[in-house]
Amino acid sequence: MLQVALAQVRMHARRFVAVGLAVVMAVGFLTATLMVNASTEASLANSIGAGFRNADLVVTAGEDGELDGAMAAAVAKADGVAEVYAQRHSRVAFGSGTQAGFGLMQDLAPRSLDSLTVVSGRLPAGNGEVAVDDTTAAKYGLAAGTSLKLAAGSGTVAARDLKDAAGATVTGVVKASKDPLLMGQPQLHALPVLAARLAGDSGYYPSIQARVADGTSVTEAKAAVESALDGAGSVVVRTADEQTKAVVAMFTGGQDQLTIILLAFALIALLVCALVVSNTFSVLVAQRTRELALLRCIGAGRNQIRRSVIVEALLVGTAASILGVLGAIGLMAGIIAVLQRQPDTEFAVLAVPGHAVAAGLLAGVVMTVLAALSPARAATAVAPLAALRPVDDARLGNRRGKVRLAAGLVLTVAGGAILALGATTANLLIALPGGALSFVGLLMCASLFVPPLVRGVGQLARPLGVPGRLAAVNAVRNPGRTSATAAALLIGVTLVTMMMTGAQTARQVFDTQLGAEYPVDITVTDRALDGRPLDQAAARTAARHEGVTAAGLVTVAGSTEIDGSQTPVYRLGPGQAQLLQDKSLVLDAGTVLVPQGSGVKTLAVAGAEGSKTLTAVETGSRFFPPLVSAAVAEELGGPAPEQADAGAGPQLWLAVDRELGAAELMQLRTDLAAELNVNDYQLSGAAIERAAFNQIIDVMLLVVTGLLAVAVLIALVGVANTLSLSVLERTRESSLLRALGLTTGQLRGMLALEAVLVAGVAALIGTVLGVLYGWLGARSALGVFGDVAPSLPWLQLAAVLAVAVVAGLLASVLPARRAARLSPVEGLATT
Amino acid sequence: MTTTSEQSPAAARPATAAAATLSLNKTYGSGDTRVHALRDVDVSFEQGRFTAIMGPSGSGKSTLMHCLAGLDTADSGQVWIGGTDITGLKDKQLTRLRRERVGFVFQAFNLVPTLTAEQNILLPVALAGGTADRDWFRQVTSALGLADRLRHRPHELSGGQQQRVAVARALLTRPDVVFGDEPTGNLDSKAGAEVLSLLRRSAVEMGQSIIMVTHDPVAASYADRVVLMNDGELVGELDHPDADSVLGALAKLGA
Ligand SMILES: Nc1ncnc2c1ncn2[C@@H]1O[C@H](COP(=O)(O)OP(=O)(O)O)[C@@H](O)[C@H]1O
Ligand SMILES: [Mg+2]
Repeated sequence: MLQVALAQVRMHARRFVAVGLAVVMAVGFLTATLMVNASTEASLANSIGAGFRNADLVVTAGEDGELDGAMAAAVAKADGVAEVYAQRHSRVAFGSGTQAGFGLMQDLAPRSLDSLTVVSGRLPAGNGEVAVDDTTAAKYGLAAGTSLKLAAGSGTVAARDLKDAAGATVTGVVKASKDPLLMGQPQLHALPVLAARLAGDSGYYPSIQARVADGTSVTEAKAAVESALDGAGSVVVRTADEQTKAVVAMFTGGQDQLTIILLAFALIALLVCALVVSNTFSVLVAQRTRELALLRCIGAGRNQIRRSVIVEALLVGTAASILGVLGAIGLMAGIIAVLQRQPDTEFAVLAVPGHAVAAGLLAGVVMTVLAALSPARAATAVAPLAALRPVDDARLGNRRGKVRLAAGLVLTVAGGAILALGATTANLLIALPGGALSFVGLLMCASLFVPPLVRGVGQLARPLGVPGRLAAVNAVRNPGRTSATAAALLIGVTLVTMMMTGAQTARQVFDTQLGAEYPVDITVTDRALDGRPLDQAAARTAARHEGVTAAGLVTVAGSTEIDGSQTPVYRLGPGQAQLLQDKSLVLDAGTVLVPQGSGVKTLAVAGAEGSKTLTAVETGSRFFPPLVSAAVAEELGGPAPEQADAGAGPQLWLAVDRELGAAELMQLRTDLAAELNVNDYQLSGAAIERAAFNQIIDVMLLVVTGLLAVAVLIALVGVANTLSLSVLERTRESSLLRALGLTTGQLRGMLALEAVLVAGVAALIGTVLGVLYGWLGARSALGVFGDVAPSLPWLQLAAVLAVAVVAGLLASVLPARRAARLSPVEGLATT
Repeated sequence: MTTTSEQSPAAARPATAAAATLSLNKTYGSGDTRVHALRDVDVSFEQGRFTAIMGPSGSGKSTLMHCLAGLDTADSGQVWIGGTDITGLKDKQLTRLRRERVGFVFQAFNLVPTLTAEQNILLPVALAGGTADRDWFRQVTSALGLADRLRHRPHELSGGQQQRVAVARALLTRPDVVFGDEPTGNLDSKAGAEVLSLLRRSAVEMGQSIIMVTHDPVAASYADRVVLMNDGELVGELDHPDADSVLGALAKLGA
């Protein structure tokens, strides 16, 4: 029977192309996912290891411990240690011209342990010299010869604060470290003397690196260092390799979760693929009924028939899995090659772990064979007599698995009930399995609702004449086949629209939440970078900015004591009430607005000219500063002088255009910060939070949709596949129609309509289910924040439907072309 | 009574014939496997007559019919249907011609399995986007004894009933010619005789031109005229044939 199977695959290679393609995609996805993980680890090891590339041993602090200079001295004295680099980090402020920033000062290593790559200039040789990393050099306009002001410390810094600080000259620019712990912050390098002077007591040693003397083994030296440090405190001595592994392990703790999430998507793709494979084999077996019966007639046993189908699946699955793995490797190699060309990710390394290859191959083959089991069993049910019976062209109505339907209904109802429970009690852990169960149940009884719906929607095609009518009939000619094809597409569409609805609903919930959380759209706090307080000029600048609808300077009116701490009280000027998010708040001469949860009835507010006790009105926001009216502020006569020194300065309150999108708001923040000469983070508030949150949601949605797109794509291959197999099956009928006057255009249109009907109805059901699941899911996850009303992303949902319809059209192109190429006589040849 | 000539005299007047060809040639394959399915076929079929094309298996009968009906194109030569030269027409025009001016009855697979008998009968009209002449429809279906079978699907009909549905479909558009390729080949002799009488009646009573391919002398005896083919060539013809004269003519061909 192996011969028969081989002959099948060779003869009908084209019929297996689509199944193969589906398997290639699913296996590729799975393998790529596993490779992402391994490549990330390898890339991290590459970037982290760079810092230790000349060291043999690395000493780091153990839990709760800290390294110090004495330990470095002890390591240096240990037997077999040739040289030691006690790397010391300290935070420094640096200024150049009008710009200032914070960075990490590291002392230079002895030459033999040095791992820096000089880009231009040279490394410092004297105590008044520093080197900076290339990113910082570009950002602050530094180059060899630039003079810098350096001071110890952290916090806000302005260039003028550094005018009395010590000076140093930049001697060179080095490549920025790609160590994730160091990346993104300015890195300065100086000789230990200067570094120590700046660090004072504040520096700390992340590690002590040691080079082992020639002739001593690393193991011996390691033991010597360990004994030298015995009793010195909690330290860990590792070889450079071990150190790299340990740090990578620390970083990839979270990476594992990402891999698990990615794997979940790969599993969905595999599941969809299994449906497509199973459906294809069912069709192939059905089309071969006569041939199988003939084999049975001439003495083939049931087992032999079954085996021959399974062997076919094995052949197709193996070939496609190998291609899928190769494709994944190619794809990842391409991505890594691109990354290596980017300055920030040039340390990226491709890793092809054996387990990724093995898992891809195994999953692909096992999935294909498992999916073919049920069609193989169907093949054994072919009676030898079927070979002698005339072919029944209209095989209307097929036996449905009653057990499967019953189980599906039970799962749907039970899962639905659990999901509803989870949604009403706002418990995602209950809702999640309930949702999954009910969805599996629905898929199992897809043959109950898909064919009637396709038939119903097919009525819409009636006005298109004979092709429309025939398309509607043909789409449900084999209800089982139609259901399975639609179910594969249904999975992806449901998950995509579920994510869209969930995201939109979450957005809605958080919008409402954030509205109440913050007093205004954007608050600008603290001083400008040049040290001057915010003033009316700044307010005017902000008001003129595109996207800002109103701006006001809110000044300090006095101070009060809330929860035992002195808090500045602000003055809401005339006309500034429109800036508040909560328009229902009223402020009169006898009241003070206080943050949510203050729990006070009255509040004494003190100013330069006396104090006043006011009725406290609690607002809905925890970040609300105590606020009094202009009239009250007048009576208080401004803040007391000692308070003015305490640092609480005027704030800028802004209202922004509601229509602005997340990206536009983030841009507005950056632009405005530059214009007002403040740091980005000094701008905060509801609008910013909303934008940041929306950006996260948008990115997540994009990523999830992208991942699910693989499943959708596989399902569409399934649609094209089923259609082309049906076309093969209906060769005679197509020829007859052509002979009777159906034009090739009408024939193509008919098949396109058929595909669009199946894809469109699957998308429609998927969208309805997705919206339902998305809303219930959002209720379960966010119900604790309050009432969750469903919020539908109409545009996105419409886009999903449109994509499904267009994809259906595309899926019909190849089968239709083949059908149209057939001349009317070819199919009519009587056998 | 029986005249055997090398060429049909009607070939000279293609414009008035129901269908006609002029030196039609068609080959299949190339090299060693090259088959001359039609060699310089000149033939003309008069209007309102029932003609049978006969010959041994593989003599080119079906190929001739396909070329005549615009289902297939010849390598060289000309074809007329109802006075229209269809040589070199594009697929789209041929398709229109087929649904408006030609009717078909095939040996098997005549009906679309998903459509009812009535829908099958109306199919060419529906494909042309037209409306059927209901009186004519009733007349045809009752003459063919299908009036009470119209709502049935093909698999609910007997073989003879299926062929009668196909005949009704072919007659409904009052085409220039109805072509039949072994229309009774799959039927038992009783059902076959029924279908053949119907075809004969439609030629006699309605003046419908009919061209039927067959290798059955009994079937051919229902025709007004028999055209004999052998090895891709026209080799003679019989007027007003009966089963014996047809058998005799065939025997002469050595078939
Ligand atoms: N599609 C085809 N490809 C190759 N040869 C063909 C094809 N159709 C018919 N033939 C050959 O052309 C000749 C005439 O065929 P056909 O017209 O079907 O004969 P008939 O209908 O008289 O039996 C035969 O030799 C047949 O083998
Ligand atoms: Mg034939």
